Amino acid sequence: MSTSKSALHGIRTSADYFISTFLFGVMFGITAASAGLENWQALLMSATSFTASGQFAALEFWAAPLPLGTIALSVALISSRNLLLGMAMTHHFDGHSLGRRIVWLALLNDPGVVNSFRMDAEVDRLGYVTGYGLSMMTSWLLSTFIGLQVAQVFAGLDLGAIDFAGPLVIATMMMLFYKGSKSKPAPWILSGVVALILFEIGAANYLILLGSVLSGMIVALLQARQGEASVDVDADD
Amino acid sequence: MLMPMIDTPTTLTAIAMMAGIVYLTRLTGYFVGLRLRHIRGIQPVLEALPGCAFMAILVPAARQGSISEVIAMACVILIMWRSSNVVISTGVGMAVLLFGAPWLDSLL
Repeated sequence: MSTSKSALHGIRTSADYFISTFLFGVMFGITAASAGLENWQALLMSATSFTASGQFAALEFWAAPLPLGTIALSVALISSRNLLLGMAMTHHFDGHSLGRRIVWLALLNDPGVVNSFRMDAEVDRLGYVTGYGLSMMTSWLLSTFIGLQVAQVFAGLDLGAIDFAGPLVIATMMMLFYKGSKSKPAPWILSGVVALILFEIGAANYLILLGSVLSGMIVALLQARQGEASVDVDADD
Repeated sequence: MLMPMIDTPTTLTAIAMMAGIVYLTRLTGYFVGLRLRHIRGIQPVLEALPGCAFMAILVPAARQGSISEVIAMACVILIMWRSSNVVISTGVGMAVLLFGAPWLDSLL
């Protein structure tokens, strides 16, 4: 499938997350307005950062004098999972120029990557993820704009319960990943166990992420080596 | 009381900084992966990473969540397990958070 057709396929299959992203975007617009951001500033942030969780985290600290270092650290920590998403796509973006990969990676997004694992081999992964990202970006910008427009209406409401919406969306992506991935679940299960242990002993968030992902990587590597060894034995027989 | 104003250049600096950081995380992971891809057996390891990252976020969130948050997450997982329908699962989860939280969280 060509890159452009794959991009269109990405757009067509993004309806579910278009809607959930839209809900988040409206929330972001409302929160940004209440934090004192002007409309064009909130829209500029959504257009350039394109990261729901990172933007919400930044707004937590949005007060004069603006703590740039704290904002940078929190956005970097929250966005660190992008490192892993990028690494996961290493073997799937071949056949494109370096320039295209560098530019299009700006639209790398969690649901696009997760859903791309469920696609047939003929689908061009970079095109698919980028199409998916375009759809997400459209939803994110439109909904941010609407959120900014309706902010006055919701100014008096307590929307604290929505804080947990982020983990809920990540849970949907985990389930799609679980159902679509061809790899065994042992690495993710161990990651979860290690995350729980590190959380219980009071480790910092970045240590929880680092420790659990590293342990998952080690198990995945051992599984891969074990699989190769058994293939070698079969070949010898 | 009026909130102290943040001037436009500082706001623009923060927005540019955020955009740069997020873009770098997207770019860096991919290019680190390119450096590692020649290692034997690395592909399944790299492809397991998103699941590991999701678990590292989900487990602590569920552990420290209130009753309503844990029930909301259980609903999302159950509906995704049965139907893979993101809209319905997220909608049910959000409904539990918005409408069930006052009652559920008062149980403990």
